[in-house]
Amino acid sequence: MTAQATSSTPVRKLHGLIAEFTSPGALVTAAEQVRDAGFTRWDTHTPFPVHGIDAAMDIRRTRLPWLVLAAGTAGCLLGLLMQWWMNATSAADFPTVPTFLQGYDYLISGKPIFSLPANIPVIFELTVLLAALVTVIGMLALNNLPRFHDALFRLPRFRRVTTDRFFLRVDADDPRFDAEGTAVFLRGLGAVAVEPVESDGQPAHWPRWLVTALVVLAALALFPPLVVAKARLSKSPKPRIALIQDMDNQERYKAQQSNPVFADGRAGRQPPAGTMARGQLHTDAHYYVGRVGDDWALTFPPQVTVDQAFLRRGQERFGVYCAPCHGLGGAGDGLVHQRAVQRDTPGWVQPSSLHDQLIRSRPVGHLFNTITNGIRSMPPYSDQIPPADRWAIVAYVRALQLSQDARLEDVPPERQPELR
Amino acid sequence: MRSTAIDIDNESRPLERGAARRAGAAALVGLAATGLAIGLGAGSGWDVFFRSYLLNYTYFLSLALGGLCFVMLQHVVRAGWSVSVRRVAEFVAATLPWLTLLFLPLLVPVVGRLPGVYEWTDPAVVQGDPRLQAKAAYLNVPFFAVRCAVYFGVWSWLAWFCLRESRTQDISGDPRHTQRLERVSAPGLLALALTVTFFAIDTLMSLHPHWYSTIWGVYFFAGSAVGFYALLVLMLAILRRSGRMRHAVGAEHFHDLGKLAFGFVVFWAYIAFSQYLLIWYANLPEETIWYRPRQGDRWWVGVSLLLVFGHFLLPLMALMSRFPKRRPRLLVAAAVWLLLMHWLDLYYIVKPRAGPHHDHAPPLHATDLLLLVGLGGLFVAALVRPMRRWHLLPRRDPRLPEALSYENV
Repeated sequence: MTAQATSSTPVRKLHGLIAEFTSPGALVTAAEQVRDAGFTRWDTHTPFPVHGIDAAMDIRRTRLPWLVLAAGTAGCLLGLLMQWWMNATSAADFPTVPTFLQGYDYLISGKPIFSLPANIPVIFELTVLLAALVTVIGMLALNNLPRFHDALFRLPRFRRVTTDRFFLRVDADDPRFDAEGTAVFLRGLGAVAVEPVESDGQPAHWPRWLVTALVVLAALALFPPLVVAKARLSKSPKPRIALIQDMDNQERYKAQQSNPVFADGRAGRQPPAGTMARGQLHTDAHYYVGRVGDDWALTFPPQVTVDQAFLRRGQERFGVYCAPCHGLGGAGDGLVHQRAVQRDTPGWVQPSSLHDQLIRSRPVGHLFNTITNGIRSMPPYSDQIPPADRWAIVAYVRALQLSQDARLEDVPPERQPELR
Repeated sequence: MRSTAIDIDNESRPLERGAARRAGAAALVGLAATGLAIGLGAGSGWDVFFRSYLLNYTYFLSLALGGLCFVMLQHVVRAGWSVSVRRVAEFVAATLPWLTLLFLPLLVPVVGRLPGVYEWTDPAVVQGDPRLQAKAAYLNVPFFAVRCAVYFGVWSWLAWFCLRESRTQDISGDPRHTQRLERVSAPGLLALALTVTFFAIDTLMSLHPHWYSTIWGVYFFAGSAVGFYALLVLMLAILRRSGRMRHAVGAEHFHDLGKLAFGFVVFWAYIAFSQYLLIWYANLPEETIWYRPRQGDRWWVGVSLLLVFGHFLLPLMALMSRFPKRRPRLLVAAAVWLLLMHWLDLYYIVKPRAGPHHDHAPPLHATDLLLLVGLGGLFVAALVRPMRRWHLLPRRDPRLPEALSYENV
């Protein structure tokens, strides 16, 4: 029979011997003797943790706690480093780092940029996370798990290891192993049975269903990055999908809506009586309104100095805000006007020419007031142009007017000959 | 496998006459120190005296409350390992009726409306303070007294019940006592949680009657648990030195008590920091007011940092490994340290003051230490009293064999 079996399965490999015991006490006693006999490559298998088996097998204490301590410490430091980098550094500190990796030192509710109390929860979580992951993964790794197959599982006898039997196994690659001698030794320890552990010598394969499942999962896992890549590389007129709203679309009241929360029903709140928003206390009538006493100001306010730079500023602002309607030369023929005429817009009134005699005769305070509050169909610009720039525009308008209405005497005497 | 042939009766024999004499001496020393503190109090101001009294009284009370919680918890979870240490915890809890008597002096500053202790007792202060008027329905002297009567009634009864059932079982061996303890302990724990929370609010949080913290009761309880486990380790080590519990309580039990102490050290820090973080983040004056005196000068900043390092980081590192927890000598050193730190925690809670009385009150008084000795002596005397009459182990508890053969895996 044996010869036949050997011939039908050509490579039968002996992995070791297994001895069966009926009580944890017998197993512990046997383990002590196997230990004392000098075996090194052997193990025990029991249905539940057996007290004293560690000492009987001379197993040294696991190194896992040290790994967990190291992982916890690493998590702690990593959490601190991460938050320091993200919150306490900025692009200016590390300009060579790619933009998407740079820190962003954003001030939140007046707290210090780098403050330990705010960082502790994240440090704590990362400490626990890394420690817990290393506990589980390290436990599996130190036990050589996961493992799909072991030659022991072929033995019908071994199935009782999960209920009421205790097994001791000696591996064939132990230096002291000797198939017959060790079997006799194990029987002498009170084993109720000793059996060889054999296999066909083929390496254990991953289960087919597991391989299939992993391949399918890996294929499915490709979909999200593909969808993202497609979105990144193509354009769409549709609004973007906002998984994280980032306060883009908040429920909110607009300034002129009614809001039942407040007694006066307004959504926009009035400043408390007797208060003024910061920087909005405009007591200087000359500078802010263009009036001196009851009359329009005839001169520029002391806050501004009319010089070459001031006029250049006025020219630039005029180009931005005024020229579209009034034209670059101020003749009231800007692009907006030209287009309106082209389209024959009904009711269109040509913007005033700034070279009009009436406008030439206006004091600078009056011009300032017109820019500030608008006139007829011209809208007010006080919200868009700060006072200093409005004065600069006024100065430039004066220069424009002079350019079309100058007498010879207005030119400096030494340059008058150039004009003759 | 440990041999079950342990001489339980000899291991758990009650304390002898010598212990009784020493307990008497402790009581005398306690009375003398308390008397001296009263003398000092008459000289330096009663508000200072009662603050010191409150500090040291809540210290010993918290240890007893920790003991009561431990005993009932073991019953609720039907713990086996802890049976051999449970009787000692029952003795700690059994000081609660005596602590009820020692609470009565604290009614003096409340009923007497003594300035500088509980300002909400002073009608003149409440009159000028709309927020205290709003709280007056709860914070008033009669209701305070009624609540305290309920707290101490509940605690004393629970402590007395736990010890009585347990020691009755010593004689009868009837497992029905265990069942009865289990049935009472579940609602008992609930009642304890509520009473401890409100006690902490009434006696400690109301020292700053404007201030509030919803986690306050848990904070007080967490510190109490740390103190109690330290005390239990210390008591077991002392009893083992006198030749008792040598087999019934071993490295395995110290290991578990060490784990519990370690766990509650972390829990205490977690709670204390949670309270701090929310207040720090919101930065609202009505909440930060509590931390202002505690971070206002160098003394209190030093105390705060000592708590961070001494009450958390140092014991965290020291008790993390299995090594010190299985060595009673090392664990006792840690326990003594934790008992000191728990006192410091309460000192940090009770002593800093903001307001008009701040200036004339130096941070540490002789009365603080005198009353630690004084109330400590009386506490020890109350603790030793039942140990002279009853066995130190629940020797016929049905789960005792489990505790005797207990091993950490």
